[in-house]
Amino acid sequence: MKRFVYINDDEASKELCCDNRMSNTKYTLWNFFPKNLMEQFSRFMNQYFLLIACLQLWSLITPVNPASTWGPLIFIFAVSASKEAWDDYHRYLSDKKANEREVWIVKHGIKKHIQAQDIQVGNIVWLRENDEVPCDLVLLGTSDPQGVCYVEGVIECPIPDKDIRRFDANMRLFPPFIDNDVCSLTIKNTLLQSCYLRNTEWACGVSVYTGNQTKLGMCRGVAEPKITAMDAMIDKLTGAIFVFQIVVVMVLGVAGNVWKDTEARKQWYVQYPEEAPWYELLVIPLRFELLCSIMIPISIKVSLDLVKGLYAKFIEWDVEMVDQETGTASYAANTAISEDLGQVEYILTDKTGTLTDNKMIFRRCCIGGIFYGNENGDALKDTQLLDAITSGSTDVIRFLTVMAICNTVIPVRSKAGDIIYKAQSQDEDALVIAAAKLHMVFVGKNANLLELMFNGEMIRYEVLEILEFTSDRKRMSVVVKDSQNGKIILLSKGADESILPSARTGQQTRTIAEAVEHYAQLGLRTLCLAWRELEEDEYLEWSVKFKEANSVLVDREWRIAEVCQLLEHDLYILGVTAIEDRLQDGVPETIETLRKAGINFWMLTGDKQNTAIQIALSCNFISPEPKGQLLLIDGKTEEDVSRSLERVLLTMRTTTSEPKDVAFVIDGWALEIALKHHRKDFVELAILSKTAICCRVTPSQKAQLVEILKSCDYRTLAIGDGGNDVRMIQQADIGVGISGREGLQAARAADYSIGRFRFLKRLILVHGRYSYNRTAFLSQYSFYKSLLICFIQIFFSFISGVSGTSLFNSVSLMAYNVFYTSVPVLVSVIDKDLSETTVMQHPQILFYCQAGRLLNPSTFAGWFGRSLFHAIVVFVITIHAYAYEKSEMEELGMVALSGCIWLQAFVVAQETNSFTVLQHLSIWGNLVGFYVLNFLFSAIPSSGMYTIMFRLCSQPSYWITMFLIVGAGMGPIFALKYYRYTYRPSKINILQQAERMGGPILTLGNIETQPRTIEKDVSPVSIRSPVYEPLLSESPNPTRRSFGPGAPFEFFQSQSRLSSSSGYTRNCKDN
Amino acid sequence: MPSNTASSSSAPAGSADSSASRTKSKRPKYSKFTQQELPACKPILTPGWVVLTFLVISVIFIPLGVVSLFASQDVVEIVDRYDNDCVPTPARANKVAYIQGVSDKSCNRTLVVPKKMKQPIYVYYQLENFYQNHRRYVKSRSDSQLRSVKDENQIDACKPEDDVNGRPIVPCGLIAWSLFNDTYALSKNNQPLTVNKRGIAWKSDREHKFGKNVFPKNFQEGNITGGGRLDANKSLSEQEDLIVWMRTAALPTFRKLYGKIESDLEKGDTIHVTLLNNYNTYSFDGKKKLVLSTTSWLGGKNDFLGIAYLTVGGICFFLALVFTIMYLVKPRRLGDPTYLSWNRVPGGGR
Repeated sequence: MKRFVYINDDEASKELCCDNRMSNTKYTLWNFFPKNLMEQFSRFMNQYFLLIACLQLWSLITPVNPASTWGPLIFIFAVSASKEAWDDYHRYLSDKKANEREVWIVKHGIKKHIQAQDIQVGNIVWLRENDEVPCDLVLLGTSDPQGVCYVEGVIECPIPDKDIRRFDANMRLFPPFIDNDVCSLTIKNTLLQSCYLRNTEWACGVSVYTGNQTKLGMCRGVAEPKITAMDAMIDKLTGAIFVFQIVVVMVLGVAGNVWKDTEARKQWYVQYPEEAPWYELLVIPLRFELLCSIMIPISIKVSLDLVKGLYAKFIEWDVEMVDQETGTASYAANTAISEDLGQVEYILTDKTGTLTDNKMIFRRCCIGGIFYGNENGDALKDTQLLDAITSGSTDVIRFLTVMAICNTVIPVRSKAGDIIYKAQSQDEDALVIAAAKLHMVFVGKNANLLELMFNGEMIRYEVLEILEFTSDRKRMSVVVKDSQNGKIILLSKGADESILPSARTGQQTRTIAEAVEHYAQLGLRTLCLAWRELEEDEYLEWSVKFKEANSVLVDREWRIAEVCQLLEHDLYILGVTAIEDRLQDGVPETIETLRKAGINFWMLTGDKQNTAIQIALSCNFISPEPKGQLLLIDGKTEEDVSRSLERVLLTMRTTTSEPKDVAFVIDGWALEIALKHHRKDFVELAILSKTAICCRVTPSQKAQLVEILKSCDYRTLAIGDGGNDVRMIQQADIGVGISGREGLQAARAADYSIGRFRFLKRLILVHGRYSYNRTAFLSQYSFYKSLLICFIQIFFSFISGVSGTSLFNSVSLMAYNVFYTSVPVLVSVIDKDLSETTVMQHPQILFYCQAGRLLNPSTFAGWFGRSLFHAIVVFVITIHAYAYEKSEMEELGMVALSGCIWLQAFVVAQETNSFTVLQHLSIWGNLVGFYVLNFLFSAIPSSGMYTIMFRLCSQPSYWITMFLIVGAGMGPIFALKYYRYTYRPSKINILQQAERMGGPILTLGNIETQPRTIEKDVSPVSIRSPVYEPLLSESPNPTRRSFGPGAPFEFFQSQSRLSSSSGYTRNCKDN
Repeated sequence: MPSNTASSSSAPAGSADSSASRTKSKRPKYSKFTQQELPACKPILTPGWVVLTFLVISVIFIPLGVVSLFASQDVVEIVDRYDNDCVPTPARANKVAYIQGVSDKSCNRTLVVPKKMKQPIYVYYQLENFYQNHRRYVKSRSDSQLRSVKDENQIDACKPEDDVNGRPIVPCGLIAWSLFNDTYALSKNNQPLTVNKRGIAWKSDREHKFGKNVFPKNFQEGNITGGGRLDANKSLSEQEDLIVWMRTAALPTFRKLYGKIESDLEKGDTIHVTLLNNYNTYSFDGKKKLVLSTTSWLGGKNDFLGIAYLTVGGICFFLALVFTIMYLVKPRRLGDPTYLSWNRVPGGGR
């Protein structure tokens, strides 16, 4: 399918395309209610509650007023719906703003102001600097002098799709301009919607895709919601409670029917009819179903949504996660997965721009076999090089020329007269700047004419073709014509592996390869520069082919690559540049801390192996000898790879028992083979290995690796900064984007975007951990309080003839979950068990979150037991204290309810680790609020509770009963907590104690210096055992210290062929 | 940087960069709340505090328990079960037939006052194994009908005692229908002892829940007669026995106020009770008891609170003791870093 866009011809394109109205909204005014309801009812829990609410309408079985379920249900639906509506309204507002923005269009030669939403396909849009591009445009001209303004023609382009990397179109202009000459267009000729125009005074383009059909609009999809491990666990527990509820209902239902037939029939005052309707047997079980329906807290979803929103806000508010340089705050695009941050087990990180600054500095070079900059580490100050330049050595000058012009850099003269380079690639920027410092100044680009200033002498080149960089080719070239002598030259730069094979026969590339190797070992990024003079005929012949390839609509990229190959051969290799990419601040510390926290790191990079390893070493990714050991997997053929993989696996298996830091290194090619043919082995390797370095990997391989780890049930976090990380980020459980220099693609696709890598530490250890702890408490507590009141109802049914009478009145039941018990627990979201400093000092504490030790079936059983115990306490005390003449139904109900509320307050208070004003306010204020509310209810004459609360509060026995309930309910729990806290303390407890006894740093500072602080056991069985199994143990294990310094340093074990191999085969280097 | 360049080399990507950073460069506002740095009190469970807490609890609870127990002991209570004895020996084989028959149901009981009883002395009847809290029973009433005449027809909830041949019953429902109707006439030393039956119901019930102009209608005129009958000429708000009965009890054993004796009874006084044993508890083995009781500040005679307080106080004291001993015998330094070992041993651990 193709689309024909007739430039400047409204009639022709009107019927086939929509206008430029953008719409990101999910709902319209009309479909909001049906659609939102549909969406909410697609959740199982909501369906369940609706069923319960409907059952309650049947007055025969409802134990209480139907309002007690409908009220909360409607409240909760209203809260969710308002949140949706609010979000959608904001989307609508921002759309509206974008749609009504004024833009200039050129029509019949006249500039007109119209609203952005009225742009039609085929219109010519005129933009000024810093304007946002309103729709996808094909660029026609800019303020650059060479701009030409086309007026009429047709663009043949594919139908709208979401691939932002591809736009294979042709433009044909109508006579009389250029006679039917097909002009090929690529993505480089387009301006995509929502980009900003920079560095150009104006630009104009013809709109090809509008409205929701733009590339951006097509990309925008409803992202599949990510489910956190915690949510899954909560769902599981809910399921268990559901089953428990069904069992209870069945047991009570049977008991009720039996009691009815044996006892109730004798009780004349109940008047059971002799003849029963067919559904008689169902009535009692259904009543119990309704009574027990509160077992599953209806408010848990809303509470969780609320607190999750707050977690996300805390991340965004955190001033310590603001990049001071750019003032960029962290941003949580996905508000629902903060708890997962605390449960991360694997971090997959990109290297460039993520670990490093992506601030490239030219450091060294090797020209014609001579190393410059080796002594002082800065070639720019190397007198030898400076001498070579002044003496006019041909190689050096050619080298500098390639550095200066073999790129897509645009020099711009600023107002002060300085030259500023606009480069899309940091490497090119570094090279051009370095060339300028070495007196080869790229001063201006005038259409296709380049101006170089060398030692005060102007050299002009005409650019004939640019052979673009692609990640497959791993090199780029330009064809220029020397204006002085008319010679046509091909200048190339690229990865050694893609340049060296094309070297001219006879040229010794060995020294070059060694130089590359040498630089890579220093962690520098290398580029090989090459040069070839072309014959005029050769160029012309090739040029035709190139043009042809450029206008192909199918497989264009591949065809172009093929054609480029024809030209890039017989190159004269000039030398190697080495660029330093500095590590970001705090990277080694961050990685060390997170590794201590038990998080495994995988580095996925496109860099060459040695560079990657050097970076890995310098940022604590892998330990240096003798602790560290690197295992290399490589090979060109399947057999090689398989053999190598086997060997590594074997070593891995045997060394798991040793306290060694074993990492494997694999390159993209071997990875491809391993994934294709030895997936099982590789998965095992992935499980065994804590650290891995994958070099030369493609974006899709990155995503595949994430997929493999996820398939082993690990929680993965992917962090990256560039477009090539987007797939991995989207694939991972948590995607973190660095809003860095490489653009915001990664940050936009990510769940969280942070300014610097080091914020990751805080994101995980502080925000992730707190979120996990808080949600663990909140969810279990929600179940606890619901179970508590439900157990009381169940007990009561045993003394009310198993007939399904509710002890509590409808108002209380309705208000219990929504008002009485929700406020204090919501404030628990600002609870902190340990201070941030302590967590940072003892990152190992994250184990508790990773292993899910705060929310799992056994902790849940604890809460279940607690609610059972409390229900017994409240029930037994109430029915005994309010026996005989006091056993009035309403009063007894309120006494039991107040007992529950008092216990709630104390349970929350006991589980709170840090009391702030808010906590006190909510816990005790809530208790006061309970009485205020009930006094209000008691003042309404028509309510069933009329005067009840006043009567109760004036009785000493009521207050005595409350104290007794609190004392009997909390005493044992408090004692148990103290016992555990003191005699069976968890690590968290110890740190809490240390922190609050004062001098935590003094007493605990030495822990980190103890030789074996972490030893994460990696036997696959123990890792894959259910998460709630204790992963920590108290007893030290000194026997494993046997590994001594005597063991040889096996950096590259037996497979090592990196340094020893003479054959230069593998090596990757890409731009 | 393999394909980074590929992506960043497309012009839009680069330019998108600065746009978004512009929109996001809003620095978050600093406040103690947003930084989660509100000043907080972080208590820890030091042995001293814990032991002290338990001691304080026991010091409060034990005296409270003693006081409650004394209060309960001060209450003088005479309980007389009469459901069995009031059935003549020949009729005991089939008590249900007796109670449903028409023979004379009067019965004489003698009570001896064990201790001086100060007025007011409450006269209760106690029913056991009677489920006023049964789901079918407890809902079978119409509050609006009781409150005002115009809602006379609101009898939906009252089934099966809702109407008689289409005419609504006032008061409708099973609760009213099964009104307790044993009566007691008390005399002390052959002098009649006045039992005041006014003011036995809650004031709020008399004034707001039961209408002053609502009169019984069609009551106990159905096929089966349940419990007591009502004087059709007295408004519901004056029918205090009904009002008391309709405050349903939450437990199967309960007492309801019958009246008050407003004079003291001396130790050794004999009280003769002439009662009419009308109410059928025999079909479901329910017990009937007549109770004369004084009250204390805590209510009637009920040792539970006192015993429970003593128990909880005792346990707390015991815990305080145990924790003290544990602390002395095996002191543990809180926050001792030697417990902080991060080793993971497969199969190890507690």
